[in-house]
Amino acid sequence: VAQRQRKGAQPARQSATSLKPFYIILGVVALVGIGGILFAMRGGAGRGVATEPADLSGVTDAQELVARARGVAVGPDNAPVQVLVFSDYMCPWCAEFALGSEKQLKSEFVEPGQVQFIYYDFPLGGARVPSSRLVRASRCAEDQGRFWEFHDVLFERQRAWMGERAAPISTFNGYAQELGLDMDEFRGCLNSDRHQELVTANYVLGAQLGVSGTPTVFVNGRRVGNPTVWSNMREAVQQQIGS
Amino acid sequence: VTIAGLEAGPHETLPAQATLPPAMPPVNRMIIAVVALAGVFLSAYMLLYKVGLIGELTCGAGGSCDRVQASPEAVFLGVPVPLWGVVGYAAIFAAAFAGLHARLAGARLIAGALLALTGVAFAFSMYLTYLEAFVILAWCRWCIASAIMATLLFACALPELRRARSGGVPIDA
Repeated sequence: VAQRQRKGAQPARQSATSLKPFYIILGVVALVGIGGILFAMRGGAGRGVATEPADLSGVTDAQELVARARGVAVGPDNAPVQVLVFSDYMCPWCAEFALGSEKQLKSEFVEPGQVQFIYYDFPLGGARVPSSRLVRASRCAEDQGRFWEFHDVLFERQRAWMGERAAPISTFNGYAQELGLDMDEFRGCLNSDRHQELVTANYVLGAQLGVSGTPTVFVNGRRVGNPTVWSNMREAVQQQIGS
Repeated sequence: VTIAGLEAGPHETLPAQATLPPAMPPVNRMIIAVVALAGVFLSAYMLLYKVGLIGELTCGAGGSCDRVQASPEAVFLGVPVPLWGVVGYAAIFAAAFAGLHARLAGARLIAGALLALTGVAFAFSMYLTYLEAFVILAWCRWCIASAIMATLLFACALPELRRARSGGVPIDA
């Protein structure tokens, strides 16, 4: 009888006494967790939009660096707002940015002449495909005046070529052919070191500006938080147009 | 019948609360539940950043959270890694929390589930740490924190091996 009572009484005692400190700790963790997330979300996705000026303190000779680095620009030179993006063809978020925010930016602000958009390469590297070769391929396309078309193709078909094991040079040659590039010129360019210094200069510029991930976007020198979200970009640009 | 040093005859009824030793729920499951809940919030933080609801990650000086998050390795089987984290930690929390209930304390299913889930979480976190070290070539402090959590969870789940093998032992074992 006593053993039966023991079995019956045990759960009640356990839940009433032993678990109380546990529930208190659990509650504290839950409160800290929810509080931390709400704190991080204050202001929504727009937090960090155009609030941090680029830190140029580490640049010893900024003019020389900028002179060597060269982005690919679209939009008028005298536009009131200049948008710089540091991007990597191998980065899925960069594809998201290029196919989303970047296209919106071009249609809403660049075409009316309010924004000049400048694309800088920032190859993060990686084990599968040398990013710098991709960048050189896009610059070889630029030599023939087809940079943006090649850039669009690379991002639109990123999933396809990223899945290939070896560096898919033949795939890039195929894209160039589709775009009607002079293939002898393109192959010759890609097999040379023609744009290597430029790629390095662009990378160094990004590093000096504190770029550590891609895509990193600066609107008139101010970094935009999570630029893949179009509302962040629009807000940042409108702030600068209005100021 | 001897309970806690007291003797009673077969027809006597004892006030159980006055004589029984306190029943301790498994401490390892309490730790697992607390750590897993923290893991849910950590993963949720990363996920909210990934979907654009948080502007910037707090990564500290020299941190490379953006770089890690932007890498192709931040997506596993078409699903963002933080989402795997939220689901995984939530499952571990649910199993540990259920295992604290007296009725399920000795259940093989709970012990097995805790071992399997924490084992997978540990292996996955080691894989992600390898990617950070040798593929992405960047470190994210939140990812490291998650890897430490997964290791701790697996270590705390090891006593479940005995429960799973024995088919259930007293909850204070």
